[in-house]
Amino acid sequence: MADSIPKARLTNLFQGSGRNIGLALALLLALLILAIFSPRYFSFANFVVVALQMSFIGILALGTAMLIISGNVDLSIGAMYGLTAVVAAMLAKIVPSPLALLAGILFAGTLGLLNGAMVWRVKLSPIIITLGSLTALRGVILLTTNGAAVRGVPEPFTILGQARPFDVPMPVWLLFGLAFIIHFVLSKTTFGRYFYAIGGNREASEAAGIRVRNLVLGAFAINGLIVGLSAVLAASRYGTASPSFGVGFEFDVITAVILGGVRFTGGEGNILGVMLAVALLGVINSGLVSLGVNPFWTEVVKGVALIVAVGLDQITHEQRQRRRTQLAMQERSRGEPGTPAGSHI
Amino acid sequence: MTENTALVHCVGITKYFGGVQALDNFSIDLHPGEIVALVGDNGAGKSTFVKILSGIYPPDDGEIWIGDEQVENLNPGRARTLGIETVYQHLSLADNLGAAANVMLGQEPLRFRIGPLRVIDEKQALAEAQRRIGEVGASLDDYAIPVRTLSGGQRQAVAIARALVKANRLIMFDEPTAALGVRQTKAALDLIQRVAGQGVAVIIISHNLDDVFAVADRVVALRQGQTTLDSPLAGTDREEIVACMMGLSFQR
Repeated sequence: MADSIPKARLTNLFQGSGRNIGLALALLLALLILAIFSPRYFSFANFVVVALQMSFIGILALGTAMLIISGNVDLSIGAMYGLTAVVAAMLAKIVPSPLALLAGILFAGTLGLLNGAMVWRVKLSPIIITLGSLTALRGVILLTTNGAAVRGVPEPFTILGQARPFDVPMPVWLLFGLAFIIHFVLSKTTFGRYFYAIGGNREASEAAGIRVRNLVLGAFAINGLIVGLSAVLAASRYGTASPSFGVGFEFDVITAVILGGVRFTGGEGNILGVMLAVALLGVINSGLVSLGVNPFWTEVVKGVALIVAVGLDQITHEQRQRRRTQLAMQERSRGEPGTPAGSHI
Repeated sequence: MTENTALVHCVGITKYFGGVQALDNFSIDLHPGEIVALVGDNGAGKSTFVKILSGIYPPDDGEIWIGDEQVENLNPGRARTLGIETVYQHLSLADNLGAAANVMLGQEPLRFRIGPLRVIDEKQALAEAQRRIGEVGASLDDYAIPVRTLSGGQRQAVAIARALVKANRLIMFDEPTAALGVRQTKAALDLIQRVAGQGVAVIIISHNLDDVFAVADRVVALRQGQTTLDSPLAGTDREEIVACMMGLSFQR
């Protein structure tokens, strides 16, 4: 049994990817319906528009996926996004644009780190702490802007967001580039391994000598930087920053991440699933409009999709659990250690 | 103390929790390759002692010598670097990771680094984990499947293999067979004997005297924080051990 490497790989492949296959099928089904009822939907230009619409949420989802996998969450991402966009746009009027963009990203990274520090210090659920941050930051946005959009940014500030290398908008390129990087970090490096370990069992990770505190703070800070990137991209793209930027984004982002198969309690999920979920939500959003459905239905469909996905997950999980208990009972009565109970599941 | 051959040598360990004295002037020597069974009723102080040696609780009084060195301010990290590991009854595994990832956690072999990013050499990690799990006498069909799907015995093997990675002095088992069936218990006890065979000092805490008689070289009984028996297994019997655990008078 010692030489079962190929089999180990194969099982691993199918373990976490049941959800991904389901998502891919749902995406195909949605596209099929669109192909029949709204053939105009299928053009390169339209797909670019859909991708652009989803790119800001998509980038946010990458940071949130990483954070939730490590057993944390930051609910203030929408408010961080709004404040960062506003701050970057205001700065652009005083300092050179590249500096304003960079400062915006670092500013958001600092906010993320601050959230992480509070979550670490106050041993409460990160949901509660960052809910506080969400509210407080929203207030700061209103104080900073007096409720009015920041307009009149210099033209160089808009170059980054409005650039279209190879006819594809910059935010879309950055979404895919960043997705690749985060996927690489999560699946190939020790950082990724430790995020999964901490999300799975924090005590065991500490016992293994992993510096849990530093890694959790790092995850919050990186999530902040990612929020910052998304925010300055949006401000740059639209050439303005409104105080309402990012309102409710935390819901869209967490919906995408959970729909993408990331377990809310941490330790499970992958970036491919999250990207598929982002794509699915994008197609639902735009597809319903294209089919002439009342756009108010969009939210209903997205919500139901989330419940169905998570519900199916839970039910299969329970079935597996029952099967496992059964096997354990059998094993106990036969009592054979080393029997591959796991491989039958 | 330099002439003492014990790997770990504890003198006069005393621990209070508020007004309750959990350990009262407790002394013990632990030798390489020797399996010491620590027995006693609930609240006798067994787990307190394990937690003191693994650096979780500081003792209120007493000395801990590890090799020739007296250790002050032991903490979990320090205990680990000194080669002391504990396998708890609720195994400390990351249930979402595979057996290989659990065994190698914190010591993944690397393929290369890109700045702060260290890329794991999964092939070597798998081979190393297989070897280590093999060393404790187990083999698995799948080293990548989350360990939550493994059986109790397999999980025990993974936990012990992971503890053995660092434990070169002392490994402590807190109720190692509590969750196991009959044959699995036998396998776990075989495993513990094999571990001792590698020259590591072993402590097992068990309520089960059958376990004690199956593997222990020496029995230490605790009652209300005090030693009531410290004898080679061959020099005692079941009645005496029970009497010492319960605080009954015993005439041979």
